[in-house]
Amino acid sequence: MSPNDYDETRDDGTPSESSDESANVRGNRADPRRHLPDGGRAPSRLADGGATLGAGGDAELDRGPFSRWVDRSIQNPQRVYRAMFYVAAIFFLFTTLFPFYWLLMVALTPEGQLRDIVFTPNGFNPGAFVEVFQTLPFHWYMFNSFVIATASTVLVLVIASLAGYAFGRLEFPGKTPLMLLVLVVSFFPPAAFFIPLNDLFNTPVEILEPVMSDGTLYNTPGAMVMPISAIFMPLAIFILTTFYAQIPDGLEDAARVEGTTRLGALFRVIIPLSAPGVATAGVLTFIAVYNEFFFSFLMTDGEAENWAPILDGILGYQGQYEILFNLMAAASIIGVLPVAILVIVAQEKIVSGLTAGALKE
Amino acid sequence: MARVRLEHVTKRYDDVVAVDDMNVEIEDGEFVCLVGPSGCGKSTTMETIAGLTRPSEGTVYIGDTDVTNLAPKDRGVAMVFQNIALFPHMDVFDNVSFGLRLRTFDDDEVERRVEQAADIVQLEGMLDRMPDEMSGGQRQRVAIARAIVRNPDVFLMDEPLANLDAKLRVHMRTELQRLHRELETTIIYVTHDQAEAMTMSDRIAVINAGELQQIDPPLVCYNEPANLFVAGFIGSPSMNFVRGEVVADGLETKNFTLEFDPAGATGVGVGDDVTLGVRPEDVHLSRNADDLSRPTRGIEVTTDVLEPMGDEIFVYLVLDEGAERTMEEDPLDSPDQLLMSVSPDTDISEDETLEVVLDGSKIHLFDTASGEALVHGIADRSGSDPGTAPTEAED
Repeated sequence: MSPNDYDETRDDGTPSESSDESANVRGNRADPRRHLPDGGRAPSRLADGGATLGAGGDAELDRGPFSRWVDRSIQNPQRVYRAMFYVAAIFFLFTTLFPFYWLLMVALTPEGQLRDIVFTPNGFNPGAFVEVFQTLPFHWYMFNSFVIATASTVLVLVIASLAGYAFGRLEFPGKTPLMLLVLVVSFFPPAAFFIPLNDLFNTPVEILEPVMSDGTLYNTPGAMVMPISAIFMPLAIFILTTFYAQIPDGLEDAARVEGTTRLGALFRVIIPLSAPGVATAGVLTFIAVYNEFFFSFLMTDGEAENWAPILDGILGYQGQYEILFNLMAAASIIGVLPVAILVIVAQEKIVSGLTAGALKE
Repeated sequence: MARVRLEHVTKRYDDVVAVDDMNVEIEDGEFVCLVGPSGCGKSTTMETIAGLTRPSEGTVYIGDTDVTNLAPKDRGVAMVFQNIALFPHMDVFDNVSFGLRLRTFDDDEVERRVEQAADIVQLEGMLDRMPDEMSGGQRQRVAIARAIVRNPDVFLMDEPLANLDAKLRVHMRTELQRLHRELETTIIYVTHDQAEAMTMSDRIAVINAGELQQIDPPLVCYNEPANLFVAGFIGSPSMNFVRGEVVADGLETKNFTLEFDPAGATGVGVGDDVTLGVRPEDVHLSRNADDLSRPTRGIEVTTDVLEPMGDEIFVYLVLDEGAERTMEEDPLDSPDQLLMSVSPDTDISEDETLEVVLDGSKIHLFDTASGEALVHGIADRSGSDPGTAPTEAED
């Protein structure tokens, strides 16, 4: 039975409906069973028509645009999926981007006029983006954030690569429990670690004394890099494990016969071939560390010269007697830009890496 | 250039023994093929030599050095892999020079040697290509160039031609032989394709279920197989096997008897349960058998299926019309069937009753229980020419 036959037996549509039907024929022919899952179509129409007119299939309802749309959607579910996609996409775009828009409006509003902002700023003061740097050494805070995020990313990638190699390419007893244990670490709330860590980082350590004036890690990048790296490590290990596991054994064997150690094969062959995975893990870690709040807020005293990150810079515009909302907003925008650019650049790299078929053999 | 010696090498995985007490000695400059069915342990043996797998027991020597615990990079071996395993993110030059760049060679030397290697495998002008821009044969040659560029002591090749199409495979086969003549390096070559093994190697090591069955020059393996497995594995189509019992004046099988003098053959006693093996080309039509030195008595058969191959015809012969034939049974193991090959101009048709003889000098007798070869070539009744006893190497 062809889809057309099926339609005719069930449906004496109005001319307009018939033309719609014929527009749908192509879709129906591609998958004649499409009707069958909602084989409910016939009964539902019967129930509908039967209730109103008490008659059989010939009854045709005088329906409005909405019920026509519903009818067409049932015949062609693709329309619904598309509509749902647009609704969801617009919703998410709005909830993500509108706060940014508002942030921009707040930044552009001159100080002291912060009211009646809906879609336009109350006044126009682009100078806020310069004032940000004049009021506080905001560039210094940004530099600190970059150092912390870069150091954490490097540390995470190196250690997670070694762990990912072991988990992804070696067989050893207790592999699965150990992997689960590593993942459990990332489920802990950071606050659980804070008190012991704060205590530890404020304890003078003799070997640090030549480097740090008082021999403690408080107010140094180390106080943030170490705990933050530990917290974001499991995700990177997980990503890299799956990528490294997919590199054919033959390539590693070839590298080892050619003269590398296992470690050499990891860095010369496996990591370059897993570039998309390494980039993903790296970008995710970088962004997460850059945006991290808890340890960034608590492991320094908030001074730029003490390695305080952007977070402390933004909060620095909040004084005891006044809060410079326009500068806070401008600083937030400036702080977000580098990461936004990084994501756009890296996203292209990740996608191109995945489509290049680097592993085709 | 080096000898390779395996002493009592055993590799056990959790529940299987992949290699079982392997003892092999490979001479300097020799081309040895390891052949066997899939999963017989030949690749594991190769990986043990390369150092990619550590044996559970035993010792591996390359030259006079015990390399059992050395890393692959310190063994002076180069390997060509079945899946070619070129590094996809490097161009041909980087692939070939990978091993050189890991060692302390200056750039000029690296370049000179890469060019020389590319010259040998005829890859000139392709050094800046990426692997995915090359054909299978070209990639294979890059892999070979990568192996030869380091002047290894031993070349290991793990089914390097398996992924190539049939025509290219034959071509690369001759190229590898030429390469071997040119380099005079020890080559150990794993294959499951016995045509490759027969044509290229100085000696063939036949492996089954992790055990070495025989290691001998190809024609010795063909003409004097050490046991039933080697007899059945080497040669295509493989040997006919017929079970029988030794009687006072010869061999009695289900459908025919052979006359020979058991006393003239060492290792054969009256009453022994033996398996007769004879290759398809050693089964002859009686009417064409005049030039055979030692034909057996004629055997009545009916032809079944003909398989014309062009240069010869394979004829399936039914010994016992009444016997039930099942599809599951390998016709070559059936006591009621024989495979014969005849020249293509022979006048023969299906369902024809005729008489065949076996070439007595090419008949093999194996002990059915152990599979060991007992006699290659049986003497006729006069006993003028006693059968050849198995040679030393096959014991």
